[in-house]
Amino acid sequence: MRCRFNNQIWVATALLIAHAMAGCVSLQIDKIQEGVDVLPPPVEFLQKKTLLAEILSCYGAPADLVDMNGDFALHYRRALYRGMNVSIGIPLKYALLPSPSMKATGNLLRYDTVVFIFTADGVLKDMKYDKGTDRSFWEDYWK
Amino acid sequence: MKRACFVISILLVASVFAGCAVFGRGKDFKPFDENALTQVTTGKTSASEVTRLFGPPNKIVKLSNGNAYVYERSIEKATGLWLVILTFGNWDKQYDRIVFFINTDDVVTHFGSSFNAETASHAMPF
Repeated sequence: MRCRFNNQIWVATALLIAHAMAGCVSLQIDKIQEGVDVLPPPVEFLQKKTLLAEILSCYGAPADLVDMNGDFALHYRRALYRGMNVSIGIPLKYALLPSPSMKATGNLLRYDTVVFIFTADGVLKDMKYDKGTDRSFWEDYWK
Repeated sequence: MKRACFVISILLVASVFAGCAVFGRGKDFKPFDENALTQVTTGKTSASEVTRLFGPPNKIVKLSNGNAYVYERSIEKATGLWLVILTFGNWDKQYDRIVFFINTDDVVTHFGSSFNAETASHAMPF
Protein backbone atom coordinates (compact mmCIF):
# COMPACT_ATOMS: atom_id res chain seq x y z
CA MET A 1 0.00 0.00 0.00
CA ARG A 2 2.86 2.30 0.89
CA CYS A 3 4.48 1.50 -2.45
CA ARG A 4 1.25 2.32 -4.29
CA PHE A 5 1.02 5.62 -2.41
CA ASN A 6 4.60 6.44 -3.45
CA ASN A 7 3.78 5.63 -7.06
CA GLN A 8 0.84 8.00 -6.97
CA ILE A 9 3.10 10.79 -5.71
CA TRP A 10 5.55 10.10 -8.52
CA VAL A 11 2.83 10.12 -11.15
CA ALA A 12 1.35 13.30 -9.72
CA THR A 13 4.78 14.96 -9.67
CA ALA A 14 5.52 13.90 -13.26
CA LEU A 15 2.17 15.21 -14.44
CA LEU A 16 2.65 18.49 -12.57
CA ILE A 17 6.07 18.91 -14.22
CA ALA A 18 4.51 18.13 -17.62
CA HIS A 19 1.87 20.79 -16.98
CA ALA A 20 4.46 23.30 -15.85
CA MET A 21 6.46 22.64 -19.02
CA ALA A 22 3.43 22.71 -21.28
CA GLY A 23 4.03 26.24 -22.43
CA CYS A 24 7.79 25.75 -22.70
CA VAL A 25 8.43 22.47 -24.49
CA SER A 26 6.57 20.73 -27.26
CA LEU A 27 7.24 17.81 -29.54
CA GLN A 28 5.31 17.11 -32.72
CA ILE A 29 5.67 13.96 -34.82
CA ASP A 30 3.96 13.64 -38.22
CA LYS A 31 3.68 10.92 -40.82
CA ILE A 32 2.04 11.12 -44.22
CA GLN A 33 1.69 8.12 -46.48
CA GLU A 34 0.30 8.13 -49.99
CA GLY A 35 -0.08 4.92 -51.98
CA VAL A 36 0.66 1.30 -51.18
CA ASP A 37 3.98 -0.53 -51.12
CA VAL A 38 5.73 -0.71 -54.47
CA LEU A 39 7.29 -4.11 -54.97
CA PRO A 40 10.52 -4.66 -56.91
CA PRO A 41 10.01 -5.98 -60.45
CA PRO A 42 10.11 -9.79 -60.63
CA VAL A 43 13.14 -11.31 -62.36
CA GLU A 44 10.84 -12.56 -65.14
CA PHE A 45 10.38 -9.00 -66.34
CA LEU A 46 12.85 -8.60 -69.20
CA GLN A 47 13.54 -5.70 -71.50
CA LYS A 48 12.34 -6.24 -75.10
CA LYS A 49 10.30 -9.28 -74.00
CA THR A 50 7.82 -8.39 -71.27
CA LEU A 51 4.53 -6.97 -72.50
CA LEU A 52 2.29 -4.23 -71.17
CA ALA A 53 -0.41 -6.75 -70.22
CA GLU A 54 2.01 -8.59 -67.89
CA ILE A 55 2.98 -5.39 -66.07
CA LEU A 56 -0.65 -4.31 -65.69
CA SER A 57 -1.58 -7.73 -64.40
CA CYS A 58 1.21 -7.66 -61.80
CA TYR A 59 1.15 -4.00 -60.69
CA GLY A 60 -2.37 -2.86 -61.58
CA ALA A 61 -3.12 0.68 -62.64
CA PRO A 62 -0.21 3.14 -62.38
CA ALA A 63 -0.11 6.38 -60.42
CA ASP A 64 1.00 8.19 -63.59
CA LEU A 65 0.95 7.45 -67.28
CA VAL A 66 3.17 9.60 -69.46
CA ASP A 67 3.55 9.88 -73.22
CA MET A 68 7.21 10.09 -74.22
CA ASN A 69 7.13 11.06 -77.91
CA GLY A 70 6.21 7.61 -79.19
CA ASP A 71 7.17 5.58 -76.15
CA PHE A 72 5.18 5.77 -72.94
CA ALA A 73 5.89 5.18 -69.26
CA LEU A 74 3.95 3.72 -66.35
CA HIS A 75 4.93 5.15 -62.99
CA TYR A 76 4.07 3.41 -59.71
CA ARG A 77 4.80 5.36 -56.57
CA ARG A 78 4.44 5.40 -52.81
CA ALA A 79 5.30 8.58 -50.91
CA LEU A 80 6.24 8.60 -47.24
CA TYR A 81 6.72 11.82 -45.31
CA ARG A 82 8.04 12.03 -41.79
CA GLY A 83 8.31 15.25 -39.87
CA MET A 84 9.36 16.25 -36.39
CA ASN A 85 9.11 19.58 -34.67
CA VAL A 86 10.70 20.35 -31.30
CA SER A 87 10.26 23.72 -29.66
CA ILE A 88 11.66 25.01 -26.42
CA GLY A 89 10.82 28.42 -25.08
CA ILE A 90 10.02 30.47 -22.05
CA PRO A 91 6.62 32.06 -22.54
CA LEU A 92 7.21 35.42 -20.94
CA LYS A 93 5.50 37.48 -23.60
CA TYR A 94 3.01 38.93 -21.14
CA ALA A 95 5.69 39.84 -18.60
CA LEU A 96 8.80 40.44 -20.62
CA LEU A 97 9.49 41.00 -24.30
CA PRO A 98 11.04 39.37 -26.18
CA SER A 99 10.45 35.78 -25.03
CA PRO A 100 13.46 33.52 -25.50
CA SER A 101 12.67 30.45 -27.58
CA MET A 102 14.23 27.83 -29.79
CA LYS A 103 12.53 25.74 -32.42
CA ALA A 104 13.93 22.87 -34.45
CA THR A 105 12.04 21.30 -37.32
CA GLY A 106 12.96 18.55 -39.72
CA ASN A 107 11.06 16.65 -42.33
CA LEU A 108 11.87 14.20 -45.06
CA LEU A 109 9.76 13.05 -47.99
CA ARG A 110 10.87 9.80 -49.60
CA TYR A 111 9.53 7.68 -52.45
CA ASP A 112 9.32 4.04 -53.39
CA THR A 113 9.13 4.11 -57.15
CA VAL A 114 9.15 1.85 -60.14
CA VAL A 115 8.92 3.14 -63.69
CA PHE A 116 8.35 0.99 -66.77
CA ILE A 117 9.04 2.45 -70.20
CA PHE A 118 7.32 0.84 -73.17
CA THR A 119 7.59 1.13 -76.90
CA ALA A 120 4.45 2.23 -78.76
CA ASP A 121 3.74 -1.48 -79.37
CA GLY A 122 3.57 -2.16 -75.63
CA VAL A 123 6.90 -3.97 -75.27
CA LEU A 124 9.01 -3.20 -72.19
CA LYS A 125 11.95 -1.03 -73.18
CA ASP A 126 13.40 -0.09 -69.80
CA MET A 127 12.60 -0.19 -66.10
CA LYS A 128 13.97 1.37 -62.95
CA TYR A 129 13.18 0.65 -59.31
CA ASP A 130 14.06 2.57 -56.18
CA LYS A 131 12.93 1.84 -52.62
CA GLY A 132 13.64 5.15 -50.92
CA THR A 133 11.99 4.17 -47.65
CA ASP A 134 14.50 1.36 -47.10
CA ARG A 135 17.43 3.74 -46.82
CA SER A 136 18.51 5.12 -43.46
CA PHE A 137 16.28 8.00 -42.39
CA TRP A 138 19.16 9.94 -40.82
CA GLU A 139 21.57 9.40 -43.70
CA ASP A 140 18.99 10.54 -46.22
CA TYR A 141 18.10 13.51 -44.04
CA TRP A 142 21.64 14.79 -43.51
CA LYS A 143 23.02 13.88 -46.93
CA MET B 1 -3.79 12.46 2.54
CA LYS B 2 -3.95 9.31 0.42
CA ARG B 3 -7.37 10.23 -0.86
CA ALA B 4 -6.28 13.79 -1.67
CA CYS B 5 -3.28 12.49 -3.59
CA PHE B 6 -5.47 10.04 -5.47
CA VAL B 7 -7.97 12.74 -6.40
CA ILE B 8 -5.17 15.07 -7.53
CA SER B 9 -3.69 12.28 -9.66
CA ILE B 10 -7.04 11.59 -11.27
CA LEU B 11 -7.56 15.27 -12.00
CA LEU B 12 -4.08 15.60 -13.48
CA VAL B 13 -4.51 12.52 -15.66
CA ALA B 14 -7.88 13.85 -16.79
CA SER B 15 -6.34 17.21 -17.61
CA VAL B 16 -3.54 15.58 -19.64
CA PHE B 17 -6.03 13.63 -21.71
CA ALA B 18 -8.26 16.65 -21.99
CA GLY B 19 -6.09 17.55 -24.97
CA CYS B 20 -7.60 16.68 -28.28
CA ALA B 21 -8.01 13.74 -30.54
CA VAL B 22 -9.08 14.13 -34.13
CA PHE B 23 -10.17 11.48 -36.58
CA GLY B 24 -10.79 12.69 -40.10
CA ARG B 25 -11.89 10.98 -43.27
CA GLY B 26 -11.75 12.53 -46.71
CA LYS B 27 -13.05 11.03 -49.89
CA ASP B 28 -12.39 12.03 -53.48
CA PHE B 29 -15.31 10.12 -54.88
CA LYS B 30 -15.97 8.89 -58.39
CA PRO B 31 -18.90 6.50 -58.74
CA PHE B 32 -17.33 3.75 -60.81
CA ASP B 33 -18.06 0.13 -60.04
CA GLU B 34 -15.11 -2.26 -59.99
CA ASN B 35 -17.44 -5.17 -60.78
CA ALA B 36 -18.14 -3.58 -64.17
CA LEU B 37 -14.60 -4.61 -65.17
CA THR B 38 -15.97 -8.10 -65.82
CA GLN B 39 -17.87 -6.61 -68.78
CA VAL B 40 -14.67 -5.31 -70.39
CA THR B 41 -12.95 -7.57 -72.91
CA THR B 42 -9.68 -6.52 -74.49
CA GLY B 43 -9.87 -6.39 -78.28
CA LYS B 44 -13.68 -6.05 -78.19
CA THR B 45 -14.90 -3.39 -75.77
CA SER B 46 -15.05 0.06 -77.32
CA ALA B 47 -14.17 3.42 -75.79
CA SER B 48 -17.84 4.41 -75.74
CA GLU B 49 -18.71 1.26 -73.78
CA VAL B 50 -16.00 2.13 -71.28
CA THR B 51 -17.48 5.58 -70.72
CA ARG B 52 -20.97 4.07 -70.50
CA LEU B 53 -19.81 1.66 -67.79
CA PHE B 54 -17.49 3.93 -65.84
CA GLY B 55 -18.55 7.45 -66.73
CA PRO B 56 -16.24 10.18 -67.98
CA PRO B 57 -12.59 9.50 -67.10
CA ASN B 58 -10.64 11.68 -64.66
CA LYS B 59 -7.86 12.03 -67.17
CA ILE B 60 -7.22 11.19 -70.82
CA VAL B 61 -3.60 10.68 -71.84
CA LYS B 62 -2.76 10.99 -75.52
CA LEU B 63 -0.46 8.22 -76.68
CA SER B 64 1.20 7.74 -80.06
CA ASN B 65 -1.12 4.87 -81.01
CA GLY B 66 -4.29 5.84 -79.19
CA ASN B 67 -5.39 7.15 -75.81
CA ALA B 68 -5.48 6.02 -72.22
CA TYR B 69 -8.51 6.67 -70.05
CA VAL B 70 -7.64 7.01 -66.37
CA TYR B 71 -10.18 6.65 -63.56
CA GLU B 72 -9.15 7.49 -60.03
CA ARG B 73 -10.69 8.00 -56.61
CA SER B 74 -9.16 8.13 -53.15
CA ILE B 75 -9.83 7.87 -49.45
CA GLU B 76 -7.75 9.79 -46.94
CA LYS B 77 -7.78 9.14 -43.20
CA ALA B 78 -6.21 11.47 -40.68
CA THR B 79 -5.49 10.91 -37.03
CA GLY B 80 -4.33 13.59 -34.62
CA LEU B 81 -3.59 13.47 -30.92
CA TRP B 82 -2.58 16.40 -28.74
CA LEU B 83 -1.30 15.62 -25.25
CA VAL B 84 0.02 18.57 -23.23
CA ILE B 85 3.53 18.65 -24.74
CA LEU B 86 3.20 15.92 -27.37
CA THR B 87 1.46 16.12 -30.72
CA PHE B 88 1.07 13.21 -33.11
CA GLY B 89 -0.31 13.43 -36.63
CA ASN B 90 -0.86 10.71 -39.19
CA TRP B 91 -2.33 10.88 -42.71
CA ASP B 92 -2.90 7.90 -44.93
CA LYS B 93 -4.17 8.32 -48.49
CA GLN B 94 -4.93 5.39 -50.76
CA TYR B 95 -6.36 5.14 -54.26
CA ASP B 96 -8.63 3.09 -56.49
CA ARG B 97 -7.40 3.37 -60.08
CA ILE B 98 -8.35 1.92 -63.45
CA VAL B 99 -6.55 2.63 -66.69
CA PHE B 100 -7.78 1.60 -70.16
CA PHE B 101 -5.52 1.67 -73.20
CA ILE B 102 -7.58 2.43 -76.28
CA ASN B 103 -6.18 2.16 -79.80
CA THR B 104 -6.83 4.38 -82.81
CA ASP B 105 -9.87 2.21 -83.70
CA ASP B 106 -11.37 3.10 -80.29
CA VAL B 107 -11.07 -0.44 -78.95
CA VAL B 108 -9.66 -1.34 -75.54
CA THR B 109 -6.33 -3.12 -76.01
CA HIS B 110 -5.28 -3.38 -72.35
CA PHE B 111 -6.52 -2.38 -68.94
CA GLY B 112 -5.18 -2.46 -65.41
CA SER B 113 -6.76 -1.79 -62.04
CA SER B 114 -5.78 -1.29 -58.40
CA PHE B 115 -8.30 -1.03 -55.59
CA ASN B 116 -6.56 0.09 -52.41
CA ALA B 117 -8.67 3.02 -51.23
CA GLU B 118 -10.36 0.99 -48.51
CA THR B 119 -6.97 0.10 -47.02
CA ALA B 120 -6.45 3.69 -45.81
CA SER B 121 -6.35 3.53 -42.02
CA HIS B 122 -6.24 5.57 -38.84
CA ALA B 123 -2.95 5.08 -37.02
CA MET B 124 -0.21 6.74 -35.02
CA PRO B 125 2.91 8.00 -36.83
CA PHE B 126 5.23 5.35 -35.38
